[in-house]
Amino acid sequence: MSWRDKVAGLKAKAPAKARSRSPGANSRAVSYATSPLLASKTPPWRSKFLVALVGLAFCGLLGRALFVQVIDKQFFQRQGEIRYARTLELQASRGRIVDRNGLILASSVPAPSLWADPKDFEADTAQRKQLAKLLGMTGKELTDRLDSNDNYVWLRRQVDDQVAKDVAALNLSGIHQVREYKRKYPEGEAATHVVGFTDVEGKGQEGSELAHQKDLAGRDGTRRVIKDRLGRVVEDIGDSVAAVDGRDVELSIDSKVQFFAYQRIRNAVAENKAKAGSVVVLDARSGEVLALANFPSYTPADRRNLSGEQLRNRALTDTFEPGSTVKPFIAAWALETNRVKPDTVLHTAPGKIQMGGFTISDSHAHGDLTVSEVIQKSSNIGSMRMGLMFQPREMWELYTQVGFGQKPQIAFPGAVTGRLRPYKTWKPVEQATMSYGYGLSASLFQIAQAYTVFANDGELIPATLTKSATPEAHVGGLRVVSPATAKTVRQMLSLVTGPGGTAPKAQAMGYSVGGKSGTAYKQEGKGYATKKYRSWFVGIAPISDPRIIVAVMVDEPSNGKWYGGDVAAPVFSDLVQQTLRTLGVQPDIDVKTQIITRDVPAEEESF
Amino acid sequence: MTRLNVLLLVALIFSAIYLVRVSHESRRLFADLDKARNEERLLASEFERLKSDKQSQATPLRVEKTARDKLAMRTATPAITQYVEVARAVNAASANGGTR
Repeated sequence: MSWRDKVAGLKAKAPAKARSRSPGANSRAVSYATSPLLASKTPPWRSKFLVALVGLAFCGLLGRALFVQVIDKQFFQRQGEIRYARTLELQASRGRIVDRNGLILASSVPAPSLWADPKDFEADTAQRKQLAKLLGMTGKELTDRLDSNDNYVWLRRQVDDQVAKDVAALNLSGIHQVREYKRKYPEGEAATHVVGFTDVEGKGQEGSELAHQKDLAGRDGTRRVIKDRLGRVVEDIGDSVAAVDGRDVELSIDSKVQFFAYQRIRNAVAENKAKAGSVVVLDARSGEVLALANFPSYTPADRRNLSGEQLRNRALTDTFEPGSTVKPFIAAWALETNRVKPDTVLHTAPGKIQMGGFTISDSHAHGDLTVSEVIQKSSNIGSMRMGLMFQPREMWELYTQVGFGQKPQIAFPGAVTGRLRPYKTWKPVEQATMSYGYGLSASLFQIAQAYTVFANDGELIPATLTKSATPEAHVGGLRVVSPATAKTVRQMLSLVTGPGGTAPKAQAMGYSVGGKSGTAYKQEGKGYATKKYRSWFVGIAPISDPRIIVAVMVDEPSNGKWYGGDVAAPVFSDLVQQTLRTLGVQPDIDVKTQIITRDVPAEEESF
Repeated sequence: MTRLNVLLLVALIFSAIYLVRVSHESRRLFADLDKARNEERLLASEFERLKSDKQSQATPLRVEKTARDKLAMRTATPAITQYVEVARAVNAASANGGTR
């Protein structure tokens, strides 16, 4: 017997009983008591009504089910998902910046950030004191910070791993950690102008960090997961986008050379009581920058109270009139166009020439000088005589070809163009002054790059800050003068550092060098300041087979010496020795010859 | 017929319980895997930190200072350096242990 039959049987019995006990009553009435006294008559609609009510309730439930399951399904599914699914950020790590030998110049290290929930925060006085000490603030600063917001307060962002561990060990409630990364710069202030820095969000702000932001940054990924009650990830759902880590950037910088260059220019600035100084060291064959240092500098890890003076990458952003350092270019072009020979005699007496209401003078009268001697003794008048042999257009093209007035082809923020006015607006006197380096301006970097013409047998090589893919390969450049001319000019440049030249102090032990010193009054407003100088030296070593170009600039030396040959040349000499030794270049001259020329007094150069 | 049904019921119940067990196990293992992956990332970044720490301890500044002050070393100048060619160096080394 199935349950259906039983229920049917029960239903059948009940009315039969009612009928038997109270005959005459409505056959469909339900009796509620066994005693006839208590039996009351119920109207038949009542049971119908109840059944209808129950039916209606069922309909309501059905409708609700329909609403939840079909009509508004998405809303409920979404609400459910919010409660168990989480989207996790996959942080891409920022690429490293390494030097040419793979030594790290910048890398990302974990640095947790600490935040507090002031409502939850509980600590007694001793704990507060300890916490403040760990965070490097005073007790009052900590209290102020906690009072500044009700829900969320950064206690300190990007602290050292150890500090974070110590804070966690205090075991205070209401203090939480967020995993973050910060940049670390092992080379510190020595390389900071090249490497630059990032902001707290890890975005490049200066230097290579900014120039290579795209390569370094990488792309963050995301991942959908299901988390359980304990916060553990138990399942991956949906598509996950993998994080793409930033690429490493390889700079052409050599840390050792860079450090030495920085140290040497720092000392030179201190020795000469100067305002600032810059150094550029170029690989003469590939145009790679081996070092680029400036003083004053700053520590990239601690950038509070930074001044523009410290931040400025002077070698690239400061322009000045290149002065005597352009004379070799004038001589080279005069030789190239067969207007002069190295031993052609030029009249420079009496050391002063009036031209267009302007006096062009040498620091002292020289009489008749050959072209070589003009370069060696840095005669303004001799250089002017050669310069006036050219058409203005010719000279403009020469300067443009070697990169003056042209933005350096270098991926680096802030590199300046310098100034070279179009030749059509030149007055004759301007052409005269321009032939010894006044009336145009360039950065130290541009001057160093221009000297690749002499170092590379007449070809200009664009300088680069990134390591070239093919080491030791000879880079083809823009031909400016013939190899023979470049060789002749190199010999002239080596005379500058010899006896009777303007910079005997540039000599390096064991290596033949050649270069050109420069000294200038500083431009102030419209005129020239009388007691403020700028001294520099640009040179090539070894002169017999050029490997490096070193450019040194010292701003406002004020310790009694201001000639480029006295102030900048010694820095050049030290750098050449150190750098060539680091590169493993064999000395090309007998060491003993060096000692003889040491005490020869420097020739005063014209500026 | 009833027996078969009972058998199937038991099988069903067993399979259901087994499913619960397996999915629990898989979640547990996945959580472990995730933990291990996190740890790997942590160790990698720690490694990176140590590498850069190591280099901060070996900057040219420090090396030079230590070499000069503690070890009393001097910079080699060309005057006290003997340069030898690579080809000759091999011969010299085999003959009398030539140095550079």
